[in-house]
Amino acid sequence: MPSILKSPLFLTVLGLTLGLTGYYIFLTDDPVDYNAEIKPIINQKCISCHGGVKKKGGFSLLFREEALAPTASGKPAIIPGDAKNSDMIMRLHHKDLEERMPYKEEPLSNEEIELLTRWIDEGAKFETHWAYKPVQPQKVPSGGLFSFFDQDDKNDIDYFIDEKLDDHGLSRSDVADKQSLLRRTSLDIIGIPAPDSIAQKYLSDPSDKAYEHLVDDLLASKFYGERWTSLWMDLARYADTKGYERDYIRSIWRYRDWLIKSFNEDKPYDQFLTEQLAGDLLPNATDEQFIATAFHRNTMTNDEGGTDNEEFRTAAIIDRVNTTWETLMGTSFACVQCHSHPYDPFKHEEYYTFMAYFNNSRDEDTYDDYPLLREFRNKSIGQYDSVMTWINLYGNNDLKTYYSRLLKTGQQCINSLVADSMVNAALADTKFLMLRKSSWARMKSINLTNKSTLLIRYGSGNDNGQLTIRLDSTNAQPYLKIKIDKSKGGWTLLEVDLPPGSSGVHDLYLNYENSKLKSKDDNGMRFDWFAFTPAFPGKDQKDYSTYHGLFIETLNRPDAEFTPIMLDNPEDMKRKTHVFERGNWLLKTKQVEAGLPELFVNDKDIKLRNRLGLAQWMTDKTNPLTARTMVNRLWEQLFGQGLVETLEDLGSQGANPTHPELLDYMAYQFMHEDNWSIKKSLKRMVMSATYRQSSKTTEKAKEKDPLNKYYSHAPRVRLSAEQVRDQALAICGTLSDKMYGPSVMPYQPEGIWRSPYDGRKWKQSDGEDQYRRAIYTYWKRTSPYPSMISFDGSAREVCATRRIRTNTPLQALTLLNDSTYWDLSVKLAQNLLKDKTLSLEQRIGKGYALATGQPISEQKTKALQQLYTSSFIKLEKDKEKILGMLSDSVYRKQGKELAAFAVVTNAILNLDEVITKN
Amino acid sequence: MGMMALGSVLDSCNLFSGNNADGSLVSNPLSPRSPHFQGKAKSVIFLHMAGAPSQLEMFDYKPELQKMDGMDCPDSFIQGKKFAFIRGVPKLLGPQANFKQYGQSGLWLSDNLPHFQQVIDDVSILKAVNTDQFNHAPAQLLMHCGTPRLGRPSMGSWVTYGLGSENSNLPGFVVLTSGGRNPDAGKSIWGSGFLPSVYQGVQCRSEGDPVLFLEDPNGFDRDMRKASIEAINNVNELSYAEYKDPEILARISQYEMAFKMQIAVPDVMSIADEPAYIHEMYGTKPGEESFANNALLARKLVEKGVRFVQLFDWGWDSHGTGEDTALDKGFIGKCLQTDKAVSALLLDLKQRGLLEETLVVWGGEFGRTPMQENRDGKQNSFKGRDHHADAFSMWMAGGGIKGGFSYGETDPIGYNAIDGKVSVYDVQATILKQLGFDHEQLTYQFQGRPFRLTDVFGKPIDPIIA
Repeated sequence: MPSILKSPLFLTVLGLTLGLTGYYIFLTDDPVDYNAEIKPIINQKCISCHGGVKKKGGFSLLFREEALAPTASGKPAIIPGDAKNSDMIMRLHHKDLEERMPYKEEPLSNEEIELLTRWIDEGAKFETHWAYKPVQPQKVPSGGLFSFFDQDDKNDIDYFIDEKLDDHGLSRSDVADKQSLLRRTSLDIIGIPAPDSIAQKYLSDPSDKAYEHLVDDLLASKFYGERWTSLWMDLARYADTKGYERDYIRSIWRYRDWLIKSFNEDKPYDQFLTEQLAGDLLPNATDEQFIATAFHRNTMTNDEGGTDNEEFRTAAIIDRVNTTWETLMGTSFACVQCHSHPYDPFKHEEYYTFMAYFNNSRDEDTYDDYPLLREFRNKSIGQYDSVMTWINLYGNNDLKTYYSRLLKTGQQCINSLVADSMVNAALADTKFLMLRKSSWARMKSINLTNKSTLLIRYGSGNDNGQLTIRLDSTNAQPYLKIKIDKSKGGWTLLEVDLPPGSSGVHDLYLNYENSKLKSKDDNGMRFDWFAFTPAFPGKDQKDYSTYHGLFIETLNRPDAEFTPIMLDNPEDMKRKTHVFERGNWLLKTKQVEAGLPELFVNDKDIKLRNRLGLAQWMTDKTNPLTARTMVNRLWEQLFGQGLVETLEDLGSQGANPTHPELLDYMAYQFMHEDNWSIKKSLKRMVMSATYRQSSKTTEKAKEKDPLNKYYSHAPRVRLSAEQVRDQALAICGTLSDKMYGPSVMPYQPEGIWRSPYDGRKWKQSDGEDQYRRAIYTYWKRTSPYPSMISFDGSAREVCATRRIRTNTPLQALTLLNDSTYWDLSVKLAQNLLKDKTLSLEQRIGKGYALATGQPISEQKTKALQQLYTSSFIKLEKDKEKILGMLSDSVYRKQGKELAAFAVVTNAILNLDEVITKN
Repeated sequence: MGMMALGSVLDSCNLFSGNNADGSLVSNPLSPRSPHFQGKAKSVIFLHMAGAPSQLEMFDYKPELQKMDGMDCPDSFIQGKKFAFIRGVPKLLGPQANFKQYGQSGLWLSDNLPHFQQVIDDVSILKAVNTDQFNHAPAQLLMHCGTPRLGRPSMGSWVTYGLGSENSNLPGFVVLTSGGRNPDAGKSIWGSGFLPSVYQGVQCRSEGDPVLFLEDPNGFDRDMRKASIEAINNVNELSYAEYKDPEILARISQYEMAFKMQIAVPDVMSIADEPAYIHEMYGTKPGEESFANNALLARKLVEKGVRFVQLFDWGWDSHGTGEDTALDKGFIGKCLQTDKAVSALLLDLKQRGLLEETLVVWGGEFGRTPMQENRDGKQNSFKGRDHHADAFSMWMAGGGIKGGFSYGETDPIGYNAIDGKVSVYDVQATILKQLGFDHEQLTYQFQGRPFRLTDVFGKPIDPIIA
C-alpha cells in the first residue's frame, strides 16, 4: 500500500470530503469483523452441515462453545489463536477431495480462507448479530463540507440518505409537485385520496408550512386508523371465519374495530402491543383490553369431524409463537420448532420455553371458540348490572370478582371435550361429550375445594334421565345424582348443589342411565361445559330466586356480542409444556418453564413468567428487535421496501440493512423521543426531503441503482389490494365513510363460496354497506374475496409479514371487467357528465385529475378522446349494446353518451398512474 | 446444463425479492424456464378424488379380508391407534366388490371400474402409499402443499414457479372442480403460499365466467375492448416516457396478455366443438358441471401447453353413514361417474401422442380402513369405512412412468404397508422428477431459509419410472 494512503494528512482530507465510513477497511489492520466478514462465509458455505440442523463430524459453528468443543475426532476443530493447527483451516486446504471442506462443493476462495485464518489467529471471537444488540443512539451525519449549500429543508433522515447517495455517486431528485405530494401522502397516511376539505386547504396554502399542515391533517383524520389497520390485519391473520375444512363464521370484528380506534388515538406502540399480547392480565382489564387479546385468537380452529382437538390447539399455540416472533420481532423462529436455528443463535429447547408463555391459555379448539368476551346488549346490560348489584350486596370481594368473570367470559368452566375413558359415550363430531344409554365418561382432576355448586350446560331430547357422578372410581358411592330432563332451546343450564364439605382434586366418573331409551346406541344427553362454583350469595334473602334466575339466564343465553379472547388457566388447571422431539407434538420430551432465549436473558430481569412479563420484555427499550421491526415496517409501507428488505427476518440470513445507522436512528427516536408514537415516527418519515422527492428517474440512476435502494428518487409502488378498491370508490364518489361493525359483503360473482359443509351464502349487503372500505369486507379464509387476492392480498391463514407485489393479467381483467369496477366506471361517467357546460376534453381532463391528482397532457387526452369517439360510433346505432352496459333507467336519462363515456372512465380506472403511487 | 438450469430457477426467486441488478423486474415471471434436467413429462394432470376413495373396492384386492368379514378387528391393529370416527373395537369388512385380473399385466381390478381395464397396461399402481394425516383438510394440504398446515405453496405453484408456462395466453396452473363444492382444504390447496400470487392455481369454472372477470361487461364487443386496451396502453406508454419505470412496461404487456386470454380461455374451456366420438368416449355433455367434462378439459388444457391441471371431484368419503356414502351404493355410483372419463382421458392422451409427455396422477388424500366404521362406537347404518392413513392406493400414468405395473404391497387385510411403502412426499418427489426437478433443489428463500415442496422428506419412486 503506498505510504501516502496511510498518512494522517491524507486521511483528514479524505474524511472531510467524502466521509469516513467504508474507507477504513482497506486502510487499517483492524481485526476481522465477524458479522461483516466471517458470518456470511459460515452461513453460505459451512453451516448447512455444521450448524443447528446437522452437526456433521460433531462440529457446529452456530455457538462459540460448540465451535471450540471437541468434535467427533476427539479434538476441537478450532484452536483460538492457532489457525495453523486448527483442523477447520487444515481441512479447507486439504488435497484429498474426500477430506477437503466444503465437502464435495467448490473450495473456498483464497480470500475467504485468509479471512477465516486471520479470524482464528485473532482468537476466533464470535460477535452478536447487529439485530440482537440493543439500539444505540446514532449520530446524524454532518452532511459534509457542502451541506451548507443545501437548498431544500432537510430533516435528520435526509442526512443519512444523502451520505449513502454520495457514496454511490447519486443525488436526490427535486421535490415533487404539490399535486403529486398530496396524492402520495394521502394514500400513504389515510389509504385514500384526501377528502376535499383537506386537499383544498393544502392546495390553496402558499406558505412553507402547507405540507406540514397537510401531514398533520391527514394524521388526525379518522381514515388514518382504517388505513393502518389494513396492514395490521395481515399481521394478525384477521379473518371472519375459523379456517380449515368447515371454515365456519367467527365473530371477531370487534378486534378490527379496536385496531382502528387504537391507531386513531395513536396508542403508544408499547401499550398497543402489551394490550394485544396480555390485555387480559393487566390490572382491572377493561373490555377493550380483553378485545385487544383477540390478536392471538385469530389463529384457526378446526371443526372438521374426527380431528384431535389437542392437535389443533397445539397448532394454534405454535402459530402464536411464530407470529409473535415474525411480525413483532422480525425473527424467523418457526424453524426452531424442529431443531436449533440453522443460522441464528436459538436453541431447539428455547422454542418451547418461549411457547410456554402461550401454552397456558384457556382456549382448546372448542367449536364455540371459548373463551369469549360477552359484551352485553339491550336487556342483558341491565340484567348483568342487577346480578352484580346483588352479589355486591350479599357476597364478598372474591365472589364479586368470580361472578363478574364468569358472566363476562363464561370462565372458569370445563369444556366437555376434555372427557376421556368413555364407555358407550363419545365426543360427538369430536366436539361435545355425548352420553348414551348406560354410558360412562371421566372428567379428570377437578378441583372441588371451596365449591358448592355444579353448573352444567347440556342438551337432551329425553326426559327422566339419571346422571350419576362418582368420585375417583366407578365403584364409589354416588357423589351426585341428577335427574336430566329434555332441554329447552338447545342448551339448558342446570344448577345442582354439591354435598357439603366437598374438597380436594378428584376424577369425576359420569354415568348416564335412562330406562326410556330403547337401544344402547340411543343418545341420552350431550354436554357443552361444566363449572364448579362457590355458592350464589344471598340464599336466605327474599329475592334470592329472582336474582338467581337472572344470573342463570344471563350466563346461559345473554344478548351479547361475543368475541374470542385470551385468558389463562387458573393455577390448578395449568398446562405443562414439553419440548417436542423434532417438532412433533406427539413426541413430548423434557418439561420446560416459560422463559426467553438465552441470547436475551441478560437483557432484562423478567419477573413475570407469563404473557404480561413477555410483553414487558418485548416493549422494554433494551429489546433490540421490537422497535427496529416496526420502524422498518413503517418505512416499507411508505417507501415500498424496508431498510432491511426482509421485514420478517432481521437475523443473519435476512437481507443486510441498506442504511443500518438510519434504521437504528429511527428505532431509537421511536422509543426515546417519540415515546412509541407511530404518528410521530410516520411524520418524521414523510417530512423528509427523501420522501418528498419526485418519483421520476433518470437513466443514470436506473443504471447505478436499478432498485432504488439508495432513494435517488421517490419509489413508484402499485397500490395495495385495499387501496385499489378504496381509491376507486373514492374517485367515483361512492365510498362510504361508515366506520366499525360486522364485516360486509359487497358484490362478488356467483359461485365463489362452495364450502363442503357450510351452507352459508355470500349475501350481498344493502345500501352503503356495498361501498365500505375494503377492511370491512367479509373475509372467508378458504374462499377469500377474489379481487383482493388478485392484487396480492394475503389469504390470512397465517400471518403475512410482507406482501409480494405482482403484476398479472388477472389484475387487468379484474379492473376491466369486475362488475364492481364497471359500475364504478358508470358512476364516474355520470358524475362527469353532470356539468353540461364542459367539453369532452374537459371531462376527460377532470376524470383524469380526479383519479391521478394531475393535469392531463395533450397526448393522453387525445388517446382517451379517440377511445370515446370509436366507442360512440359503435354504440350510436346499437341500443342493445347500450342496454347491456347501463341499467334501463340510467339509459333513459343519459343514453349513448354515457355508455361511450363509461368506456373512457373504465380505461381511466385502469391506468398505471391510477393504481400506482407516484 | 444442470448448473445453468438451476441458476435460472433460483434467479426467478430473486425477481420478487428485488435483488436483481439487471432490471429483470420487468421480465415475465411465467416465461418458460428450464428445469434441473431434461424431464420426461411436460405437464401434469392430477385427479384428486376428495374425500378419499376406498382402495379395497378398487385396486387393492384382499381375499383374506373377505374371509374375516364381520370378525372383530384384532387388537394389534387398534392398540394405540387413532381414528377419525372408529371407537372401541370395530368389525372387519370384506371387499364390497368382485375382483379380476386384466390386461397383459394381469393386474387386479374391481368390477367397479369396468372401463379402466382398457388402460390398465398404461398405469403404475402404488398400493402402499402412506400419509400421516387422517383428517381431510390436513391430508389434502399435505398431498398438495407438503404440509398439513396452511401457508405453503401448492404443487402446481411450485411447478409453474419452476417451469413457467408454455402458453402465455393461458394460466400455467388450472384447477377444475366437480361435485358443486370446493375440496375440504378450500382454495389453499391451489394457493401460492409464500410464492408470488402469480403462481397460484386459476380456478376455471363451467358456469359463469370460465375465469373470474374474463368476460367484458355486457354490451362490449371485441373491437371496443381492443380500443380500450389500446387507449390504456397508449396512456401508459406516455407515462413510461415520463417516469421511466419499467413496471409500466410490464403492465402494458399484462394488458395485452389479458386481451389474448379473453379469447384463448373460452376457446379452450369450450367442449362444444369436440367431435361426437370424443363425447361418447368421455361421457361428456357440454354445459354440465361434471367430472367427465373436466377430464376432457384437462386434455384440452395440456394440449395447449398448460403446465399443471388439477381436478377435484367431490363425494368419495364413504363412511357408510348414509346411502350416498355406502360402499355398496353411493360409492359404486361415484366409480361409475368417473371411471369412463378417467379411462377416456388416458386413451385420448395416448391417441394424440400426449401421454408420453403428460403425467397423470390419481388418488385421494388417504385411504380407508379394512374395518367397517362404527362411528363413535355405534355400528353405522350402511357399509362404510373410516379414514385410513397407513396404506392406500394411488396410480400414475404417462410422463415416463411404467405401464402395467404395480408397486407396493399391503398385509393380507390391507391395513399396513409391508413392502414398497411410499410416502406422500415420495409421490411429490416423483412428480417433480418426471418434470425434470431434483425435489431437494427446487427451493424458495423464505423466513431466512430455503423452503421446498417436500419439506425435509421424500425420495422419487424409481421402481415405477420407465
